[in-house]
Amino acid sequence: MSIIIRGARLIDPITQLDQVTDVHIKGHCIETIGDLTGINAATEIDAKGMILCPSFVDLHTCLRDLNQVQKGTIASETQAAASAGFTHLCPSPDTQPCSDAGSVISMIKSKVAAAGFCNLLPVAALTKDLKGTQLSNMESLSRAGCIGFSNAGYDISDNTVLLRCYEYAATFGLKVFVQAQDHQLGRGQMHAGPTATRMGLDGIPVIAETLSISRHLQFMQHTGVSGHFNQLTSAAGVALIRQAKAQGMNITADVGIAHLCFTDTAIEGYSSQYHVQPPLREESDRKALLAGIKDGTLDAICSAHQPHESAAKCAPFAATASGMATYDMLVPLIQGLVDSGDLTWTLAIQALSSNSTTIALRKTTMLTVGEDANLTLIDPSHLWTLNASSQLSHGTNQALNHQNLKARVRLTIKSGRISYSM
Amino acid sequence: MTNLANLQLTESGELRHFLTPEGLDRLMLERILDTADSFVVVGNQEVKKVPLLRGRTVVNLFFENSTRTRSTFELAAKRLSADVLTLDIKTSATSKGESLLDTLQNLRAMHSDMFVVRHGDSGAAHFIASQVTPDVAIINAGDGRHAHPTQAMLDMLTIRRHKGQFEPLSVAIVGDILHSRVARDQIHALKTLGCSDIRLVGPNTLMPRAIESMGVTTHNNMDSGIAGVDVVIMLRLQTERMESAFLPSAGEYFRLYGLTTERLVQAKPDAIVMHPGPINRGIEIESAVADGPQSMILNQVGYGIALRMAVMSMAMSGQMQQRQAQAQANNPPSLIRKPRS
Repeated sequence: MSIIIRGARLIDPITQLDQVTDVHIKGHCIETIGDLTGINAATEIDAKGMILCPSFVDLHTCLRDLNQVQKGTIASETQAAASAGFTHLCPSPDTQPCSDAGSVISMIKSKVAAAGFCNLLPVAALTKDLKGTQLSNMESLSRAGCIGFSNAGYDISDNTVLLRCYEYAATFGLKVFVQAQDHQLGRGQMHAGPTATRMGLDGIPVIAETLSISRHLQFMQHTGVSGHFNQLTSAAGVALIRQAKAQGMNITADVGIAHLCFTDTAIEGYSSQYHVQPPLREESDRKALLAGIKDGTLDAICSAHQPHESAAKCAPFAATASGMATYDMLVPLIQGLVDSGDLTWTLAIQALSSNSTTIALRKTTMLTVGEDANLTLIDPSHLWTLNASSQLSHGTNQALNHQNLKARVRLTIKSGRISYSM
Repeated sequence: MTNLANLQLTESGELRHFLTPEGLDRLMLERILDTADSFVVVGNQEVKKVPLLRGRTVVNLFFENSTRTRSTFELAAKRLSADVLTLDIKTSATSKGESLLDTLQNLRAMHSDMFVVRHGDSGAAHFIASQVTPDVAIINAGDGRHAHPTQAMLDMLTIRRHKGQFEPLSVAIVGDILHSRVARDQIHALKTLGCSDIRLVGPNTLMPRAIESMGVTTHNNMDSGIAGVDVVIMLRLQTERMESAFLPSAGEYFRLYGLTTERLVQAKPDAIVMHPGPINRGIEIESAVADGPQSMILNQVGYGIALRMAVMSMAMSGQMQQRQAQAQANNPPSLIRKPRS
């Protein structure tokens, strides 16, 4: 397959490339970068005004399927991921059945491969059935292609078990992913602040996050495990990560797109679309998360995509399922942050692609000649409306449903093949 | 919160649901109190009925246990001549797996005109009014920790009837603020009606985070908290709070925050004492105070029926106006007359 993308703004934070030029993709590799006047290809794309960058890698997503097809299928959600510019996905292990066995991982892998939209980099369960009592077969799961281990949103209350998890992971040099929220303090429905107080909803204090981060940092420090924190939410949490990195700890962290863009006040009027876990916090936290992306404390932005059927969100707030379907909104949300001056596309690409690739694949991918052609083409000025006919995710829990949005992915290329085009 | 006001009012500004005093203006709250005042008289008449809701169907939907609130709502609806259906939800379809949504849609299909809803989840009444049955008037009879607007407004009625204007008053609300849906609505109503000195008294374990953002002051010390106040509102302390580590013991709580005759001296000599009930004698209030001359506890119960009659009649009237407006919008009268044959 031969593709030429003409006149795009090429951004690669690793090579510090930021140039308007042409790119020729041949086979699965980048063949040429530069003026391609006079050269033709089977597929040619006029990309003036658009951004071409290394494709995105999602460090935290939920693909549903297996036993939750009412919420989304692997085919629908990986297609939605491709439409958001992702070529590689690290799904959370809280699948049904749980991703704690090679058979489950291979079933998910084969479904993802059959759909053909993305590559799978699974994060497996740290303990069997995520129950926090027995270790999963980490080494075998690693051989089966799992890039890390997490207990998702489930608690390992026994410190002895948690220590064994870290010790065993350290034995084989495995990465541990952490969703940092203390189980007991995290039983509420939203951030513990003025909005929760006025609405009479149970609050989750910031200490639920900081206590858990501190606990896991101690285990990481003690065992030397390389850890990654998913979905930070608070200024205090960012400060803890910054401090640990300054001490030379081998850790990384990400933030969900929703936490970069929304705050707890969005829940006014009991809007269940903003019911997410961990919870949306206050504006000062959101600003601290953005500052964390800018100064490198937070390495990556993840989708934290969690599709739901409409009934899951149609109940009194406390009875609704937490989670937001974010794939269809991700690029417009980033564009919103760029337009408001909170982010640049270069920083966003570094967080969505360069750094997340390094964390998940332990290597870098670059927009250079000879590299695998995993690329995303974004039209930052495209105007469109998010609705049932324009969205690809099966999740109806789209916070910006029926809103006019700006920016959209025009093309996603996975190993030289077009996995999504608009 | 304009969305709450919009949800509760018709396009012409009449009450159509009553979910919380939050978002309603002073004029509306005073109209509710004035209407309730007029119904207080009805309770004293030999024939205690008025025909305002004749032919209308009111369904009491209590997803949580309640004796007092449920019976006063039932009585209020009957005094307004409504047909009243009270559903015991525990034995109804929801216990067989039917969702709240489906239960309500079924009741709506029976041409109910008003739902009086008590539910354990904050925002449940709001959800029903906005998502499920916008054309049925919803009266919130308590949702989670969020709101209990008729209780809060009957407390306002009690204060107004015994203290007059709200502006000069100092009001202390004492006890389990954290779990109290009444306290939140009392704060909204007192603020809107002009009261500027609202004090919350209790230990930090029972004080919601950032509650000061609602325009109140917090006090850990009972004596200084009620010093010089005109109104002391005591909240019920549920005994399970001790089991879930909010408090060490009922004895220590009573010693620190119980309202005794001795402690009441700190308030103004003519201060009134209120309690939403049911009271725990010897835990949050001493019997001598509960039964004493400054106690308004039984007056509150009587005013409760009048207040509920007021909001039910107002919301039903608003809802009927809204329905008529919508019907007219859907079927505008024809301007062309058919020629006579």
